Amino acid sequence: MRPDPAFALLGLYEKALPEVYGYLLARCGDRVLAEELTSETFLGAVAACRKEHAPPVSTAWLIGVARHKLADHWRRTEREQRGLRLVHDAGDDVEDPWDDQLDALRARQVLGSLSVPHQAVLTLRYVDGLPVRDVAAHLGRTIHATEALLTRAKTAFRRGYQEKEGSDA
Amino acid sequence: MPDPFDALALPSTPVDPDPAFADQLRDDLRRLILNGADMTTTVPQQAKVAALTPYLVVTDARAALDFYVEVFDAQRRSEPIMMDDGRVGHAELAIGDSVLMFAEEFPELGNVVAAQGGALIRVEVADPHASMRRAVELGAEQQRPVEDRGHGLAGVFRDPYGQRWLLSRAAPPAPAERVYQHGEAGYFTFQVPDDARAKAFYGAVLGWQFAAGSLPTAWRIEGDGLPGGLWGGPELQTGWKLMFAVDDLEAALGRVGAQGGRAGEVETHPYGRTADCADDQGIEFWLWEQPRA
Repeated sequence: MRPDPAFALLGLYEKALPEVYGYLLARCGDRVLAEELTSETFLGAVAACRKEHAPPVSTAWLIGVARHKLADHWRRTEREQRGLRLVHDAGDDVEDPWDDQLDALRARQVLGSLSVPHQAVLTLRYVDGLPVRDVAAHLGRTIHATEALLTRAKTAFRRGYQEKEGSDA
Repeated sequence: MPDPFDALALPSTPVDPDPAFADQLRDDLRRLILNGADMTTTVPQQAKVAALTPYLVVTDARAALDFYVEVFDAQRRSEPIMMDDGRVGHAELAIGDSVLMFAEEFPELGNVVAAQGGALIRVEVADPHASMRRAVELGAEQQRPVEDRGHGLAGVFRDPYGQRWLLSRAAPPAPAERVYQHGEAGYFTFQVPDDARAKAFYGAVLGWQFAAGSLPTAWRIEGDGLPGGLWGGPELQTGWKLMFAVDDLEAALGRVGAQGGRAGEVETHPYGRTADCADDQGIEFWLWEQPRA
C-alpha cells in the first residue's frame, strides 16, 4: 500500500496557501473570488494528487492547479455572459510597431477592463508567460483559435490603453 | 524584438489571506483528506467502459462538458480531442460508474443532433429536483417535471446541446440479502487467544483489514477476507467457528441434542435467530435461522 499523498498537502498547506492565494488575487483582483478559487484549488488537489501518475505535491504544482481553476472560472463566466453580450470584434488589426514601454499600473487597469476571453488569453500568455500551446490547452481551444483570439485581445488592449492614455493625460 | 506585452509579466507574490478563511479551509481540507482516506468503508467508484456506453452528438461539446459536470456531478476524464477545424472530435466524462462519450456534429459522417425527440438516456443522480433546477438554469428545456410515479423520482429535460435525459433516483432497492441454503456456512468467526497478534499476522500474510466490532476484542474482517470476524480471548475455543444456516432452528436444535451434542439457547438478532452449539466431540458452531422474507 502506498501512503496517501494527500497528507503531503496538509503538510504543505501553511507554506503554499499565501503563494496560491497571492497568485490568484493578483490575477482576478477580487478577494472573494480569490478565496473561492483558493478553496477550489486545495480541495480539488486532494483528488488530483491521489490519481495514478500524479506528480508529487509541491507549491509549483498547486499553482498549476490554481491556474486551471482560474481558466475554468473564466470559461464559466464567458459562457454566462455570451448570451448577454453583443460581440463586436472590430477587424481593424493595427499592426503598427508599438514599442512604447507599457506603464504597468495602467496596463493592469486596462487588462481588468477587457472582456473575459481577452483577459483570460492575455493573462495566461503574458502575465503568466505560458507558451501559446499551453494557453490553448487551459482555455480548451485549438492553437489556431487561440492565436486568433490573442491577436484580437492585443488589439483591444492597445485600443483601451491608448484611450486611457488620452483620458489620463 | 522584445514584445511590449512582456511588461505585463507578474511574478507570483505571496499574500496572506484572511486568517479566518485560512482556518476554515484548513479544516475543510483536513476533513476531506481524512474522510476520503478511510478506504475500508468508502471505496471510490471507478468508472469504466461497460457493456453499454452512450456516444452523443452535441452542438457545443465544451459547453456540454461543463453542463454535465454541473448537472450530473460528472468527473472529467481526459482533455477533449480537438480537430484542426476547431470542432471537438471526442470528449469523455465519468458519471458514477459509467463513461459518457460525445463529440460535436460531423454531418459528413451522419453525426447530427436530432431536431426533436431522439434517444432518452437515464442517469441516476443524488437529487433529481436539484439537478433539474440547475439544468433549467443552464438553459435546458424541462419536458417532464420531477415526480414519483411509483418507480422513484424521475423527470425529463432536453439539454441546450440537443440530448434528452431522464433524471432519476431509483426507489431504494430492498437490501439484496443473500439467502443461504440449509446446511451452508454463512458466517465465519476466527477465535484466537490473542486478537492483536492474529490481526498483525493475517494482516501481514494475507493483507486482511479489520474494523472494530461489538466487543473490544472482536473485529470484522474487511475486504477480501472471509465474511466473518476475528474474536480474541483466552477462554475461547481456538479455531474457526462456523455458523450454519438451517430452515427450522427448533427442529435442528432437537437433532443436535438427539445426536449427543450441546444445543444452546436461542438468541434473536437483526440478522436472524441463532444458537451457540457444540457437536458430540465438543467442537463449537452456531446454528442460524434467517429471517423469513
